[in-house]
Amino acid sequence: MNNRYSRQELFSPIGRDGQLQISRKHVLIIGMGALGSGSAEALVRAGIGKLTIVDRDYVEWSNLQRQQLYTEEDADKRIPKVIAAKKRLTELNSSVVMEAIIADASVSDLLDWAQNVDLIIDATDNFETRMTMNDVSQKVGVPWIYGACVGSYGISYTIIPEKTPCLACLLETVPLGGLTCDTAGIISPAVNMVVAHQTGEALKILVGDVDSLRNKLVSFDLWKNKYSAIQVDKLKKEDCPSCGKERSYPNLSFEKQTKTAVLCGRDTVQIRPGVPIVRNLEMLEHLLINQGGTVQRNPYLLSYTMDSHRLVIFKDGRVLIHGTKDIAEAKAVYHRCLG
Amino acid sequence: MNKVLFFAHLRDAVGAESLSVAAAGKTVAELKAELSAQYDLPRMETVMTAINEEFASNDEVISDGDEIAFIPPVSGG
Repeated sequence: MNNRYSRQELFSPIGRDGQLQISRKHVLIIGMGALGSGSAEALVRAGIGKLTIVDRDYVEWSNLQRQQLYTEEDADKRIPKVIAAKKRLTELNSSVVMEAIIADASVSDLLDWAQNVDLIIDATDNFETRMTMNDVSQKVGVPWIYGACVGSYGISYTIIPEKTPCLACLLETVPLGGLTCDTAGIISPAVNMVVAHQTGEALKILVGDVDSLRNKLVSFDLWKNKYSAIQVDKLKKEDCPSCGKERSYPNLSFEKQTKTAVLCGRDTVQIRPGVPIVRNLEMLEHLLINQGGTVQRNPYLLSYTMDSHRLVIFKDGRVLIHGTKDIAEAKAVYHRCLG
Repeated sequence: MNKVLFFAHLRDAVGAESLSVAAAGKTVAELKAELSAQYDLPRMETVMTAINEEFASNDEVISDGDEIAFIPPVSGG
């Protein structure tokens, strides 16, 4: 046995049959930052049949410390992440059918992309897209794997429609505006640990070994040497609006989506969160100061200048992004700074 | 008494990885509110809770000896 997958086929829970299964499967990865890069490389090397990758951003120098598919040249030329990723992934395994999409994953896009896939891997940087992914997964009947990390901490959970609680069952309040990698930093081993948990579960799903799935929400801190896996079975809510008996998929509704508007002639995009939030400007000031850039605050708003963008954040959650007319670019800056 | 464990930024805010607290009879939401006020913990309403390594909702009542862990969902990717 010396074909390129021989070592994976020797692993008995996969075997030759499992390898054949993997080669016939199609996975969708949303986000091609650190987590997306890691999962994509693992699946491509494992011989996935088809991979669709989606991201709205381009490669920057601050990505190179952990986003394993990208090079200095990609950062220099500001190559869109999915384009740089596709090039590298094709070099790694030319037999995989690769689809690269430069886009801001909207509700209709996600519903469309999810139709023909076997699994969705979460590698986004914000909860708005995750909640949309959650409801799309329930509506289309495709499993998805939540993963996120910040600092030396990471978390992952696998959602199987009609079997496990969904993310909406677990989160009583959706944590919009939490810590992000740009505010609290990130080390690559925390990324790799989340990727290992996500791709481990992915392989089980792809070969159909559902009995081996973890069924627990795992979280860890590599610096503080903590690891926890918690049971979630009893959290499946009969009345959950996303996965319950009388579901309405609230995260697919227009009202819940972040509203954006380009302000004419001002080189500015306004972003308004889909659900009401009150920003603690004082706390935000502390977080943003750590990132470099300039922060100014008055009782009503906070202004944050970073590179060529200036963000003005109001207490009611509304944010103006000066320095761009491009909604996708503005959203990328917004989620990078504010989660 | 109850052992309360903190993950991620909550540990930094509290300054210890665990605390010993008398929480028997309180709901998860009450304990969250109490600790939030005492240690100035940010956004406790979004934090997930485990009691004895099982997921617990905000209205669950804590018993003496239960081990409680607060697990913040994070968004970085």
